[in-house]
Amino acid sequence: MATTTATVGITSADLTPGMALGISATTTLNKTGLTDGLEIMDMGYGTLTIADSHKALHEALGTVDTSNYVYLANESTNAEHYIEVVLHDTVIGRLYAGDWMFTPWNQSDSVAEWSIQAYGGACAYTYAIFKSSYVLPDSTQGTLNP
Amino acid sequence: MATINATVTIGSDIISGVNISNTMTMTKAGTNNGLDGTTGLNVKTVQTETAFKLFDHSEGDPAKRASKVYIRNTGSSATDFFYIGFGEDLAAATIETIGRLYGSDWMLIPWDAVAATTHDIYAKASTAESAMTLEFIAFTE
Repeated sequence: MATTTATVGITSADLTPGMALGISATTTLNKTGLTDGLEIMDMGYGTLTIADSHKALHEALGTVDTSNYVYLANESTNAEHYIEVVLHDTVIGRLYAGDWMFTPWNQSDSVAEWSIQAYGGACAYTYAIFKSSYVLPDSTQGTLNP
Repeated sequence: MATINATVTIGSDIISGVNISNTMTMTKAGTNNGLDGTTGLNVKTVQTETAFKLFDHSEGDPAKRASKVYIRNTGSSATDFFYIGFGEDLAAATIETIGRLYGSDWMLIPWDAVAATTHDIYAKASTAESAMTLEFIAFTE
């Protein structure tokens, strides 16, 4: 059994005058409804160009309605370059240069894939996806050794 | 203009050497100027399986789309959770559902607060048998 922890800290000294903001939280990424840690993950790095259409970051190839988590970061340093993040056909939001996101992913529908597209200029990105299950896609070679 | 920093650290032994650490400064769309709006930190406790709204799209500016939202399940249950998603139709197999927040789980995502109710963010508890609590805050332009 693996152990994966995700910690966040959010701070601001001047967002609200006289009241510094300090949020911190830690969670352990477990299998659906269990205290056993997730054991499947993908992690990688790539670059999106503005000529690209929406690209699937990850298809919903796991079991529907399960515990999964997605981390995604826009590694661009140009403030005008952003990545549009889409879940199925809903635009979640924009990751501007240096932004990151971390979210649970329910795979609530068989087509609930994550899509990303660069705007303003090319965007390098890093990602990690932690999953309860995953179904390998069929080989294009069919059955090689019947 | 305010300065809001958010740091994430993810460590895992699924694969040797996984250690993600990243800090972002939340900025307005297309600029280096910091976000300076917020809903403030909210806490809501429910004991119902009826969906409830966390963020209304009117809290963001549809022309300025760099908002962020943070949501955390303050509980400790490994079995009870909140569905989080867009609109009230949150369940196991609805495309509006983003994911489940189990006890201690948190999320921080960009929020495209366009001028439409389809971008209102809701939560729905998985059980009405025990009280469950969310804390949540939006950072807006």
